[in-house]
Amino acid sequence: MTLSTMLSTMSVGMLRTCGIFILTLVGSLPLGMIVALLRKSRFSVVRGIIRVYISVIRGTPLMLQLLVWYFGPYYLFDLSIRGWRFPALILGFILNYAAYFAEIYRGGIESISVGQYEAAEVLGYSKAQTFMRIILPQVVKTIMPSVTNEVITLVKDTSLAFTLAYQEVFSLSKQISASQTSFMPFVIAGVFYFVANYVVAFIMERIEKAMDYYR
Amino acid sequence: MIIEMRNIKKHFGELEVLKDISFGVDSGEVVSIIGPSGSGKSTLLRCATFLETIDGGEILYMGEKAAHTDESGKAVYVHPKELHRFRSYCGLVFQQFNLFPHYSILKNLTDAPIQVQHRSKEEAEADAMELLGKMGIADKANAYPYQLSGGQQQRVAIARALAMKPEILFFDEPTSALDPELTGEVLKVIRQLADEKMTMVVVTHEMPFAKAVSNRVIFMAGGVIVEQGDPQAVFENPQEERTKQFLRVFER
Repeated sequence: MTLSTMLSTMSVGMLRTCGIFILTLVGSLPLGMIVALLRKSRFSVVRGIIRVYISVIRGTPLMLQLLVWYFGPYYLFDLSIRGWRFPALILGFILNYAAYFAEIYRGGIESISVGQYEAAEVLGYSKAQTFMRIILPQVVKTIMPSVTNEVITLVKDTSLAFTLAYQEVFSLSKQISASQTSFMPFVIAGVFYFVANYVVAFIMERIEKAMDYYR
Repeated sequence: MIIEMRNIKKHFGELEVLKDISFGVDSGEVVSIIGPSGSGKSTLLRCATFLETIDGGEILYMGEKAAHTDESGKAVYVHPKELHRFRSYCGLVFQQFNLFPHYSILKNLTDAPIQVQHRSKEEAEADAMELLGKMGIADKANAYPYQLSGGQQQRVAIARALAMKPEILFFDEPTSALDPELTGEVLKVIRQLADEKMTMVVVTHEMPFAKAVSNRVIFMAGGVIVEQGDPQAVFENPQEERTKQFLRVFER
């Protein structure tokens, strides 16, 4: 296999990696906010469920969670899992990352002083207006560094898709390395991940800078 | 009367913070509330501005009931939609300013009028600029709160409250977070509002200010109004032993 076929095969894998990355963020960033808000729900049952969900997600390996989502329907409900590989993968990633984002959001929301809520209340803002206009913008600013960390971890975590034999860049590098007895695929994979994270860090830094106009 | 509070009771757990307090404020009146910390002054203000709910008693704005006590002795508030209207009658200036740090000074003043009162942007901005001019900080319209001194921030907070065109403005120790130098500039603004017959209730530890600016002084201690009246009378010739004891501390 020539280097250029190797590169083009792995580029296709990298596109799949990007697919997992983007779909996970699109799903987990908003879901995390819903989870964070439900964690402060007035119904104790809801709070309890959310707490169990977060502690199970944080207390077990993502790799195991992916296997459960993929094989669970078959072993637990005797359902066919044909075509379920990719949905299970994305579901597993989104539910995992939503739990982590929820905890980051919660920390951010709790860091806003009571005075901000009270000032908004006295001025007659509704609960929704207070959250969207006063609280959320400040939360976003405070949590940005933690979110950046999490997003960079996600780029690398996408490699766990190999557990479900999904052909993203990491799985491919292992396969090609074994079949071609070559070290090159690992180098290429490493460069791909590094470049991806470089881009992510650059974008996140721009976003953080854009919010630098106040303290 | 702009606001009338009758037989207000409020407790936090075991602690009775307000024990059957009644007071009212007429239009154009400036009332100072003085007293030792923990006497319930701030809680009274927070009840008046609906940040805290009362346990018993009645709150009336412009003669209309916002809260009353039912037969079982529980305080009942009007429907949240109605309460929204009552909230618009009052403004509150906090000890810690509580400006919105992510908004420019101008936006701090215009956001609520636009979003809550649905006024036009042009009108809200024109009003805001006039208020900032009155506060002597028109040049700070595009700055952000962190760029201002404490005294300037508090003047913005006063302007923000006034931008809502309230009937009455409450101040919760407006100068307690400021050093003496900055205290003066904030008091000057309040004094100016008093001259314009703005109805105000000021919780303060600034005795000379209370004496000079207010029409009436209320001395609170232990959750009750111990003494009230003309500032000259209360300061020069207090009737109650508790008042004398409190004022003696300031004479030294």
